[in-house]
Amino acid sequence: MLPIAVTLALTVALQAQTPAPAAAPDLSDPEVAHVAWTANSIDIDMAKFAQTRAHKAAVKQFAQTMITDHTAVNEQAAALAKKLGVTPADNAVSQSLQNDAKQARASLEPLHGAAFERAYIDREVAYHQAVLDAIDKVLVPTTENAELRKLLTDVRPAIATHLEHAKQLRSQLGAPSRTSK
Amino acid sequence: MIVWLLLLAGLGSTPKSHTVEIRGMEFHPAVLTVAVGDTIVWINRDIVPHTATGMRRKWDSGQLQQGDSGRYVPSRVGRVPYTCTLHPTMKGMLIVRKE
Repeated sequence: MLPIAVTLALTVALQAQTPAPAAAPDLSDPEVAHVAWTANSIDIDMAKFAQTRAHKAAVKQFAQTMITDHTAVNEQAAALAKKLGVTPADNAVSQSLQNDAKQARASLEPLHGAAFERAYIDREVAYHQAVLDAIDKVLVPTTENAELRKLLTDVRPAIATHLEHAKQLRSQLGAPSRTSK
Repeated sequence: MIVWLLLLAGLGSTPKSHTVEIRGMEFHPAVLTVAVGDTIVWINRDIVPHTATGMRRKWDSGQLQQGDSGRYVPSRVGRVPYTCTLHPTMKGMLIVRKE
């Protein structure tokens, strides 16, 4: 249920910006920068929370990689924004992502041990898939500045690798829970 | 004398250096054939840090930030699989020959 909720929230947020289904939402570059920063920050916060709850070394290592990588990406994004004189601008997509993250955190809050690890990794699979879709269908097509667009395309393989890593962990953690896709 | 030096060089034991670029979350080239005693240098071109690490961590470059490099000199013949400990889905292979 959680991964579906994540995907739906992002999809709805993105579609709400979209006048026609085939068109990408019209985000300005400062808004794209804010969405990217928000998406990274959400995953860092979730990983920090996971490190306090997860027991398995592989899950803790995954969470550490999320912190390390998404921090590195945000540092690059901040440096680029400074260079370009762009001030990231809050927007409906960022707010939707943050609302979704609050809900995800609330869903994970009561869980511990194996149940937590499973739900966290399920969320990471869905989240990274949704972010990949957003990069491909929304962020890259709508970004005007070539350097910002290049940063997004440079980051894409890392997100795809995180997705594969999360899927690999999910298969190691055992059978899917009944509430996950 | 010159002939003697050429003969020594011709024995083919001069170690070489090979470069593996890490970019786009992949090792380039992913499979590399080297000789015992050669030096393999990994350079990280990605935004995120990586490692080049042998199985059971017999050797480990440590975390390479963007622009950093790490090296390894294989001492035995054989196939040497390696990975990035931060991103275990990344795989590389050294094929180490006698010379």
